[in-house]
Amino acid sequence: MMPRILLVEDNEMNRDMLSRRLQRKGYSVLIAHDGEQGLAKACSEIPDLILMDISLPFIDGYEVTRRVKANPRTRHIPVIALTAHALLTDRDRALNAGCNDYDTKPVDFARLTEKIENLLVNEKKL
Amino acid sequence: MKFQDLSIKRKLILMTMLTSSIALLLSSVSFLIYDLISFRNLLTHDLATQAQIIGYNSAAAMAFKDEPAATATLSALTAKGDIVSAALYSPNGQMFAHYFRGKKTLANVVPICSPENSYRFEGQFLEVCHEVTLNGDRVGTLLLQSDMSQWSMRARRYATICLVFALVSVFLAFLVSSKLQKVISGPIMHLEDTMKMVSANKNYEVRAVKSYSDEIGSLIDGFNAMLSDIQQRDGALRGANDELQTRTLELEEEVSQRKQAQEELLNAKHVAEEASRAKSTFLANMSHELRTPLNAIIGYSEMLEEEARDSEKADDIRDLQKIQLAGKHLLSLINDVLDLSKIEAGKMPLHLETFDVRLMVSEIVTTLQPAIEKNKNALRVRVADEVSAMRADVTKVRQILFNLLSNACKFTDQGTIGLDVDRKLENGQDWIRFQVSDTGIGIAAKQKENLFKEFAQADTSIARKYGGTGLGLAISYKFVQLMKGRISVESELGHGATFTAELPVQVRTDAADAALPDGSRDSPTAAARTKTDRDTILVIDDDAAVRDLMSRFLSKLDVNVVAARSGEEGLRLAAQFHPVIITLDVVMPGRDGWWVLNQLKADPELSEIPVIMVTIVDNEAMGINLGASNYLVKPVHRERLVDLIEKYRVTRSSAPKTIKIPVSISPTRKTQGEVGAENPRRR
Repeated sequence: MMPRILLVEDNEMNRDMLSRRLQRKGYSVLIAHDGEQGLAKACSEIPDLILMDISLPFIDGYEVTRRVKANPRTRHIPVIALTAHALLTDRDRALNAGCNDYDTKPVDFARLTEKIENLLVNEKKL
Repeated sequence: MKFQDLSIKRKLILMTMLTSSIALLLSSVSFLIYDLISFRNLLTHDLATQAQIIGYNSAAAMAFKDEPAATATLSALTAKGDIVSAALYSPNGQMFAHYFRGKKTLANVVPICSPENSYRFEGQFLEVCHEVTLNGDRVGTLLLQSDMSQWSMRARRYATICLVFALVSVFLAFLVSSKLQKVISGPIMHLEDTMKMVSANKNYEVRAVKSYSDEIGSLIDGFNAMLSDIQQRDGALRGANDELQTRTLELEEEVSQRKQAQEELLNAKHVAEEASRAKSTFLANMSHELRTPLNAIIGYSEMLEEEARDSEKADDIRDLQKIQLAGKHLLSLINDVLDLSKIEAGKMPLHLETFDVRLMVSEIVTTLQPAIEKNKNALRVRVADEVSAMRADVTKVRQILFNLLSNACKFTDQGTIGLDVDRKLENGQDWIRFQVSDTGIGIAAKQKENLFKEFAQADTSIARKYGGTGLGLAISYKFVQLMKGRISVESELGHGATFTAELPVQVRTDAADAALPDGSRDSPTAAARTKTDRDTILVIDDDAAVRDLMSRFLSKLDVNVVAARSGEEGLRLAAQFHPVIITLDVVMPGRDGWWVLNQLKADPELSEIPVIMVTIVDNEAMGINLGASNYLVKPVHRERLVDLIEKYRVTRSSAPKTIKIPVSISPTRKTQGEVGAENPRRR
């Protein structure tokens, strides 16, 4: 069965581009436009992994991650934070919020897929 | 009230009156006495003369015993008012004739009156005895008695006159003295008034008026002189006081002005900081806003390239790669601009840490491999033996080298790119020199000037041909400056270029000492972390020359040498690197080696690391007591040190890590003995 990835991204082009590239790599991609939708889909669909944009309107990616990690049903889902801020503090904030990994935009797709694979393999081991 | 306490005026009046009264009294009394005495004498003489006349006139009557004639003669005395009695006595002593104005006051028998013709005072009466003679024969005795009424009347009159006169004189004396005392008391009272006025009003401008040139006059002169003196001093004091007050006011004003200026400065600082924050936020936001569309551009072109590869559309692949390249160029531009802005806003902090230079160089070479191969260049790397660890911001050093090397790769085609790392001492400072040389297109002389400035690529056409933002060198230049180093270039057009970056082995920031205790910031670098296969030796010594020497001594051992220049730094690095051996100096500024040794032995995680004291302080007992494993007195022999360290490394690798290495293991003791034997300075 194809791994299911929930992509939480408010920018339409990036969402479209990333989801299409992930699908080409053989993942099944779920889409959320904002944090609230992301939370709802994480609970209802229980994806294998979440790609979380940090700069989301209303509820930002840190907060969404915190809530995902606070919920016993979704706690186990690995979260990779994606941010356009290339500051070290962003990395620390993402990890503090409970993200399992972190990557900067523009995305180096090969590196991102490597991170995704690592997390998915780890999850399977558990 | 006592006389002494009376006012001068009264004293003077009283004194004058008393003096004049005494003088008057004395003169009056003496005159009165004299007058009364002489008057009495006159009266006596007069009475005697009277007695003589009467005696002469009555002598015949006495001789002839003619009593009526004698009585008639005596009765003539009625004209003399003061004679109260007269009597003639016969020679046998019987009263013969007599005259009494009033009652009888004379005895019938003649009183004894010798010598003859004498007088005597009998009670209030004056009596005169006279011998009556006729032709030399004594015929009887005459006795006259006067009541002195004239004399007493005169005395009374005199006394009255004296009294009246005395009263009048005393009154006159009072008047005169009242007038005259003013000559003396007036100036004194004036002086007193003046004095009261001065002391009451503190008015030193008034002056006593001098009336006469006597002693009081000179007193007033003296007083006035004193007043002028006081006035002058008062004036000076007042002046000084005024000046002081003015100065105080000025100072207060100055203080308030400064306070205001300080507040303004503080406000300005806040405004500037706010602006700087706003700028940083703006840049961060801008960079985010720019990256988001770039993300799409690069992502879509990569995706399309993959699709084009699948459908084997070669033309599309090339075009799509160009889009990707442009996108990536734009991305590096954004990153570089962000970096530059951070440097200029002073927001680029230095994260100083000690790292292995060799390891960093090899990491960079690996990263750059694709760029080197791209233009079919060859890379030659040489790191001098004495180069080991340095303390700097490893990220920035890496970026400097990366920029210089990727520039060299970019501008060289099928040539050789060289990287030389050396260590040199200059002006007592320890430097590490990175030299990046290439055999590429080189740089024209006039372009060298602007080489390290932002957006000043040697030729704008170069950007089109070779790519690059033109900011790499500017950023490298700023990073080198931040670490208090220098960067320069030597080149000739067409004959390659050599860039030289020199950095202190121990980079210090102005706030380096303040930041030292904050060990959390210096997390172990990739360079340090990946080197678990090599043993780390920590050298703690404040002397750069000693650190350098120790590094050289130990470089042959295939160990990683980390140096600390203070006790605190040493402790921090010990916790960070967990070295196999620590060499420790005693005399250091701040915390000394004994303190460090104590701290090391008190920390359960560090207590098992053998510590070799390397010092000029000859106190082995102290070192061993505190837990040092060995004690070497400087100067240290290389072989001795290397032997010791080798022994500990062997001990360590053969023992499981959890077992604590006892301080008193036999090699240690043995070594101590050896050290003692061969070091002549040890007593």
